Amino acid sequence: MRSENRALWQSVYLVIVVAFCAVVYASSKHINYNWNWQRVVPYLINTEPQSVRAPFDGTAKVSTDDKTLTLVPDAGGEPVVVKKFSAISVNDGDLIFEGDQVATISNWRIGPITEGMITTLEISLASLVFAVIIGLFIGLGRISRNLAIRQLCITYIEIIRGTPLLVQIFIFYFFIGTVLSLDRFTAGVASLAVFTAAYVAEIVRSGIQSIPPGQMEAARSLGMTYVQAMVNVILPQAFKRTLPPMAGQFINLIKDSSLVSVISITDLTKAGREVVSATFAPFEVWFTVALLYLVMTGALSWMIQRLEKKLAASD
Amino acid sequence: MHLQNAEDIIIAKDVDKIYPNGCHALKKVSASIKKGEVVVIIGPSGSGKSTFLRTLNQLETISSGSIVIDQVDMYGKNTNINKLREHVGMVFQSFNLFPHKSALHNVMMAPLKVSKRAKSEVEEHAKALMKKVGLAERMNNYPSQLSGGQQQRVAIARALCMKPKIMLFDEPTSALDPEMVGEVLDVMKSLAKEGMTMVVVTHEMGFAREVADRVLFMEDGELLVEDTPDKFFHNPTHPRLQRFLSQVL
Ligand SMILES: Nc1ncnc2c1ncn2[C@@H]1O[C@H](COP(=O)(O)OP(=O)(O)O)[C@@H](O)[C@H]1O
Ligand SMILES: [Mg+2]
Repeated sequence: MRSENRALWQSVYLVIVVAFCAVVYASSKHINYNWNWQRVVPYLINTEPQSVRAPFDGTAKVSTDDKTLTLVPDAGGEPVVVKKFSAISVNDGDLIFEGDQVATISNWRIGPITEGMITTLEISLASLVFAVIIGLFIGLGRISRNLAIRQLCITYIEIIRGTPLLVQIFIFYFFIGTVLSLDRFTAGVASLAVFTAAYVAEIVRSGIQSIPPGQMEAARSLGMTYVQAMVNVILPQAFKRTLPPMAGQFINLIKDSSLVSVISITDLTKAGREVVSATFAPFEVWFTVALLYLVMTGALSWMIQRLEKKLAASD
Repeated sequence: MHLQNAEDIIIAKDVDKIYPNGCHALKKVSASIKKGEVVVIIGPSGSGKSTFLRTLNQLETISSGSIVIDQVDMYGKNTNINKLREHVGMVFQSFNLFPHKSALHNVMMAPLKVSKRAKSEVEEHAKALMKKVGLAERMNNYPSQLSGGQQQRVAIARALCMKPKIMLFDEPTSALDPEMVGEVLDVMKSLAKEGMTMVVVTHEMGFAREVADRVLFMEDGELLVEDTPDKFFHNPTHPRLQRFLSQVL
């Protein structure tokens, strides 16, 4: 494409994006919505100073250089030196009562939305690892020469792909989870892994079948066993070809993980719901949550793209 | 001839092959091949040449009959087919190099993974073979960076690195541009001179005449003629061979 055309369509794109944002903004004005992004921040990172409270009734002693704070109990006994604080909230000689704030510590804590995001990451990562392992074996079983293995794998794939994930999560949590006494997190990870594995299996199968049969024949003719040929010749090549569809599947996994909030796992989505009821700032919260999902999925697809580039060396 | 007293290293008896789709590809094929012998198989397309060659390392199983390789019954109860294949190298029409490995690592893979030989020894052997096939300069290239003729020579080196007793070639030059056929045939000729037992399916009549100890003619799944190249090409008696030769020569 010629360069002036490029610039033209680039600006068309920008105009459309800006117009879309303006429409969103205008519609919120239309329903008298007051945007207040400030309210979301503490739920991401809480910078509010924490109080240091007096453990007993007594007197505060502050050194002249404001560096040490000592609390002397009324009831007698050893004075207590407050060690960690960033600002003293009492004056020298003040009477203090048990539970009074005597100092503050500025302390960065992660807010509930960030905690939810970490939970989402943990769940996604754990289920991804299991999904790949299960999916690899189901995918290999799917093309096994043994009829029983092949049919078992097909049945697995058909059942999992033919039922909604939400229903599977409920079955895992209420039925399998109860039988095996799994906790929520395990049940959530298990259902996501089992679900994603069915799709991974199909990706693995088509990846393996896309490798020309001559590769397996060459490997076997050199004396390799089926397993050696798979491990050294077929799978490394299939792996490269399956990366793009795998990336898509992993991104789906991160998004699908939002469904585990139905079994009361406080993931990013559930955290968002809780924060909405605390802040009454639904638009800001949900936009933030969406952005955080986008960051996670974007980072993942970026990593996989880099891996693809690296593996392209032999092409 | 120099081979007269050599022992048979391949003995195929009454080999029948019926593919699952019902295609009767081999009909009672019997052939014996001596140690150090170079046997060329020719015949029209679809006559069962590849099928026969592939039964010799069990890439295809046979429907009935028997095959004995180096005194080991291929279908014996205690026969380890992987072990047997280690000594039967195969070169394919479409090279089938492993595209994710460099040329040198293509050659080194099986000796390392299958024979579990020491890495330094395998590397030395592989480099010597790469030199032998004239590709000392291209060892670190990936297959996609090599010409067809070069790829096929790497494939030959790959098979040789397993120290095979028998080499099978299935139309090794058919996928090559004409100008690259010679370089592959030269490697095969030098291999024949060194006394390698070779079974070669090819349309290169010149190679058959020059290098073969014996030429076999197959048609319709049957082995019709077995003869020295001299009689085979200059005094063919079988009418179907006469017809075939008149078409191709
Ligand atoms: N995998 C297969 N399944 C079914 N039929 C096959 C298969 N491979 C070859 N055939 C059939 O067997 C016959 C012999 O084929 P092939 O051995 O490849 O002949 P050639 O190598 O002499 O051209 C042909 O009729 C072919 O169609
Ligand atoms: Mg053929």
